[in-house]
Amino acid sequence: MSPLQKVAAILLCTILLLMVLASIFVPAPYARQFRDIPNAGPSTAHPLGTDALGRDSLSRLLYGTRVSLLLAPGASLLSTIIAALLGSAAGLIGGWFERIVLALTDLSLALPWLFLLLTVRAMLPLDVPPMVSVVIAFLMMGLLGWQSAVRVICAATRGIRDSDFLLLARSTGCQPARLLLRHVAPNLRPLFYVQFWISIPLFILTEANLSILGLGVMEPMPSWGNLLRGFENFSALAANPLRLVPLILLVLVVMCFQLVLPSQEVTQ
Amino acid sequence: MLRRLLLIASLGLVAALFSATLVRFAPGYGVEERELDPRWSAESVEALRHKQLLQEGLASFYFHYLSALARGDLGESDSLKRPVRELLTQRLPVTGSAIVRGLGVAWLAAALLASLGLSSRSWLYEASGTAFSSLLLSLPSAVVAMLAVHLRAPVFCAISVVVFPRLHRYMRSLLVRSYDQPHVLAARARGLTSGTIFWRHVLPVAAPPLLALFGVSFAIAFGAAIPIEALCDSPGLGQLAWHAALSRDLPLIVNVTFVVCLVMLVANSLADLAGRTVIGASQ
Repeated sequence: MSPLQKVAAILLCTILLLMVLASIFVPAPYARQFRDIPNAGPSTAHPLGTDALGRDSLSRLLYGTRVSLLLAPGASLLSTIIAALLGSAAGLIGGWFERIVLALTDLSLALPWLFLLLTVRAMLPLDVPPMVSVVIAFLMMGLLGWQSAVRVICAATRGIRDSDFLLLARSTGCQPARLLLRHVAPNLRPLFYVQFWISIPLFILTEANLSILGLGVMEPMPSWGNLLRGFENFSALAANPLRLVPLILLVLVVMCFQLVLPSQEVTQ
Repeated sequence: MLRRLLLIASLGLVAALFSATLVRFAPGYGVEERELDPRWSAESVEALRHKQLLQEGLASFYFHYLSALARGDLGESDSLKRPVRELLTQRLPVTGSAIVRGLGVAWLAAALLASLGLSSRSWLYEASGTAFSSLLLSLPSAVVAMLAVHLRAPVFCAISVVVFPRLHRYMRSLLVRSYDQPHVLAARARGLTSGTIFWRHVLPVAAPPLLALFGVSFAIAFGAAIPIEALCDSPGLGQLAWHAALSRDLPLIVNVTFVVCLVMLVANSLADLAGRTVIGASQ
């Protein structure tokens, strides 16, 4: 691990710790409104000020960080599991099954990622409770974010399909499911880790985009995307530059994830 | 070529029918608010119900959609009350122009910075270049759009800001790998000029993946165009897709998916074809 990667890892751990201990640091619940002080500047009671509805910005930032940083890895895990199952099964079985899986992958890759999410999100109810909107947003990303990983995993599985250890396992009467779980999956584990890791920043950014467009996490539940919607009011941003903190934190976390990602040599 | 065109058209249709299936089974499909409006007469409500009944089953919906498509009729937008064909004809050039200009700027900037980095090879330049592109990569495209609104920058500039870091990172690593090839080292040892080395020995190796990147960059640019056009209030296809999603406009969603899928497939096929031509020519 390079020094830069160590710094990024420490930063990520610190942010994760702050997120876990959010309830200790927050000055007020994230949805509580201080109606007499909307758009207030930083003060002892509200270190980052308040938003247009008088809600404490620090509380919303800490809880929003919790929502984004807990659910993005969850969605990433789901998409990696789907990609691992589909990709390794397609690579191992080959033939028509592989062709169908790859054709489906090509088809979904033909549509831009955000457009695909937008189309699917449009099919689901928009007027839902905030907690349901969080689940919908991240579940949708997890269920639709497997395409590029499938291609990589399928190609890697194809590479080991005719290897000696698989031939030996087949000759001893090993069932396909056992072959997949006991022999193929352990050999592709580094690839799964990388796919999992690279999906996290992608999902964090996608959630931000969806929430800014009004199709992600619904108010009053905070998330990084929701907090960034405040940027539309540029005069309030100019009056209180601390409103930039959510953006700085988002950029920092995404950069840290990109830096911590193990290099290609390590994963091979 | 004909086979490829047929494949593109059928994949586009599959995508459109897939989105139609999703819409058909979406909660709330077929609920018509106008039926509750007391100003509508019983005959009008009956006519509305009859119209919905025609598209009730999925097979029936597909049949109506495909037969209308064969006649060049893409239906009418439920929310905008205008023919979808007219909407697409108006908005496609806006997005197309923004994407082409945005891609042009992004490719030019990425190529320039990547080649400058290769020629100087100083760690400070490389570090600052990497940090700059990482910073841009970490910005959601919707935030770039909001910054464009505040700075009154045109839509294509915002698109190029989103596309540039992805191109720069890939282009840089590709050129570094190409320059580290043994035949490039041999060419250097023979005393060839840097221009000759680039045109004769580096570009033929790097061109096919760069052309493949063109297809990918097109998809990235269109993906970025959705939040950018929506937030910058630019009347393009991205804004139309966003509007269709928010208003759950069935004919609009199906046809926008069809058009987007076709455009993406054509762009990828062209990039693929160009890559093969380059490989064929270099061999």
